[in-house]
Amino acid sequence: MNPTKISACNVNVFYGASQAIKDVSLELADKSVTAFIGPSGCGKSTFLRCLNRMNDTIDICRVTGDIRLDGQDINAASVDPVQLRAQVGMVFQKPNPFPKSIYDNVAYGPRIHGLTQNRTELDEIVESSLRAAALWDEVKDRLRQPGTGLSGGQQQRLCIARAIATRPEVILMDEPCSALDPIATAQIDDLIHQMAQDFCVIIVTHSMSQARRVSDRTAYFHMGNMVEYGETEQIFINPREKLTETYVSGRIG
Amino acid sequence: MTPSRTPMQQVQASLARRRRKQITLQVLGIGAISAAILMLGLLLTTLTLSGRHALTQTHLTVQVFIDPAEIRADRLPRGGFDDVVTAAIAALIPGADLSNREGRREVSAISSNGAQFLLRDLVVANPALIGQTIALRFPVSDPYDQLFKGLIDRATPEANRRLNDAQIARFDALVAAGAVSTPLNWGLLFNADSRFPELAGLRGALMGSFWALLTCFVIAFPLGIGAAIWLEEFAPRNRISDLIEVNINNLAAVPSVVFGLLALAVFIGWFGLPRSAPFVGGLTLALMTLPTIIIATRAALKAVPPSIREAALGLGASRQQVVFGHVLPLAMPGILTGTIIGLAQALGETAPLLLIGMNAFLTSAATSPFDASTALPTQIFLWADSPERGFVSRTSAAILVLLTFLIVMNALAIALRKRFERKW
Ligand SMILES: Nc1ncnc2c1ncn2[C@@H]1O[C@H](COP(=O)(O)OP(=O)(O)OP(=O)(O)O)[C@@H](O)[C@H]1O
Ligand SMILES: [Mg+2]
Repeated sequence: MNPTKISACNVNVFYGASQAIKDVSLELADKSVTAFIGPSGCGKSTFLRCLNRMNDTIDICRVTGDIRLDGQDINAASVDPVQLRAQVGMVFQKPNPFPKSIYDNVAYGPRIHGLTQNRTELDEIVESSLRAAALWDEVKDRLRQPGTGLSGGQQQRLCIARAIATRPEVILMDEPCSALDPIATAQIDDLIHQMAQDFCVIIVTHSMSQARRVSDRTAYFHMGNMVEYGETEQIFINPREKLTETYVSGRIG
Repeated sequence: MTPSRTPMQQVQASLARRRRKQITLQVLGIGAISAAILMLGLLLTTLTLSGRHALTQTHLTVQVFIDPAEIRADRLPRGGFDDVVTAAIAALIPGADLSNREGRREVSAISSNGAQFLLRDLVVANPALIGQTIALRFPVSDPYDQLFKGLIDRATPEANRRLNDAQIARFDALVAAGAVSTPLNWGLLFNADSRFPELAGLRGALMGSFWALLTCFVIAFPLGIGAAIWLEEFAPRNRISDLIEVNINNLAAVPSVVFGLLALAVFIGWFGLPRSAPFVGGLTLALMTLPTIIIATRAALKAVPPSIREAALGLGASRQQVVFGHVLPLAMPGILTGTIIGLAQALGETAPLLLIGMNAFLTSAATSPFDASTALPTQIFLWADSPERGFVSRTSAAILVLLTFLIVMNALAIALRKRFERKW
């Protein structure tokens, strides 16, 4: 296993009085893909959103426990969530491009974080991000057209390009392929493989086959508990827990 | 035992019932809309019928000899301008007798009182005209205007008529001489108010409404948007923000006359701002428009899909960047629509303006928001209260002008919404 990028220890999450995550501890490796799987409502998204403090934006949500990025407590008072989210990018379940041009979508992150000195550098980032998201060839002639005019799969790849343009260290993906057809899904799977060479990628998915294809390690969640966490091969072929076995064999969820 | 029906038969049985309900609903809806359209049509028809007379104004065109004996360059702006005009009219009436005062008054009464001032202004601006003969066109006085527009019935007995036979005969002579015309009444828009209906116009009221609305917009728009953004995006959800929310909704329902009383006590009483000033009117209207703008802005902000906020936040945008870079631009069409509708309401608001004295009789238009002025609705109120017959049609015409502005503003709101409507 690669060195640890994120370590979570005894994380609990509450929405008002109801507990969505119960005492979860795990370590996520750098430059690899980790998949979160589990039945609907088990808390995968909730846990993922702890990692870039997106839960801060929900009034009733309360997070306890210790989450460290490179050894630094991300919930410490000294950490600005704005800076954290520049480090930990996120791709959402539904493609959500801004109603702006394709170029401006990708350039948004670098612009607000002041990553570039001039126009040429920005052009380079936009191009390399779109190439990394396997979208460049399809959109290079219409960068000025609205991002909302692309197809669903293209929009999702645009969102991925937008996320990697800010040069994050970690990328969180919450069911990025749930709205896509098999071809677009396969493209994104390839993309995730590519990204794992530079980033720590964490993906939530309902597709067992996708989890098996793309991930190095897999965590299985059930009703707010993390039931099992290990090498993807081991989780799918030789799960230690009964619950995991029933889920991955397709008998629940 | 009755044979049990199949599900398909049950569905069919319910079909007729559902169709009946649907038709009833449609009939009710169409009926409601027809009633509304009928009312609107009735309103517009009556207004147009009585207001159309004010759209033209009967004018007299005469050759005026600017007699150096009456008007001397060294005594301007004094001079016998009225006598010169009267002589010019009399020249067109066979048998007109200017030798006695009675005769002179009968002839000069045909012209509007404004004719002599029109001539005076011309001569003061160009004293070289003295001694020359010029063509002068001026409004006739109100009774003759009514006569020419057929509003005075010649068949009624002389005693019950506003003009007697001799007066009508004199005017007919002028008509026969080709001196009478009815051009479009631009004076209605470009003249200030006057005691004489044939001279009265809406310039003062339009300027007053303009300054008041400008003040209202400049104050209520930024304040309203600021308040709405804070409430919607930044305020913690607690008792206090709930209380503020309830109060804003209540404020929108407070009768406008209450705002007028408040303005009278606070702006004029405590702060000593001038009475009748459009600035104070604008402040008062801003108080009333503020809740409308806040509510419209909050609705527009709420309507921005949360996925856009999440996308921006997920990229590391600060809340301020999310609001000003994404949410506000997307909400702008809704905000502008709400603002224009709020301003349109403010334009027609009368009661608070009456209370702060924007119903004074003024014969000059305001040149700044601090000059005393009337506004469109208060001007209508003033004219509706005037006894002169000529003000009846002018009141209707003024209402039509007000309605035109309202329609233009609402059309603008719709156009903006259409123009900026986006799909995401
Ligand atoms: N904003 C919220 N307010 C209140 N409860 C929430 C909120 N979001 C999630 N929950 C609850 O927390 C629990 C976990 O939800 P979460 O969205 O993390 O599930 P999930 O594993 O991502 O499910 P899915 O696979 O369907 O996306 C659920 O019981 C859900 O009802
Ligand atoms: Mg989820």
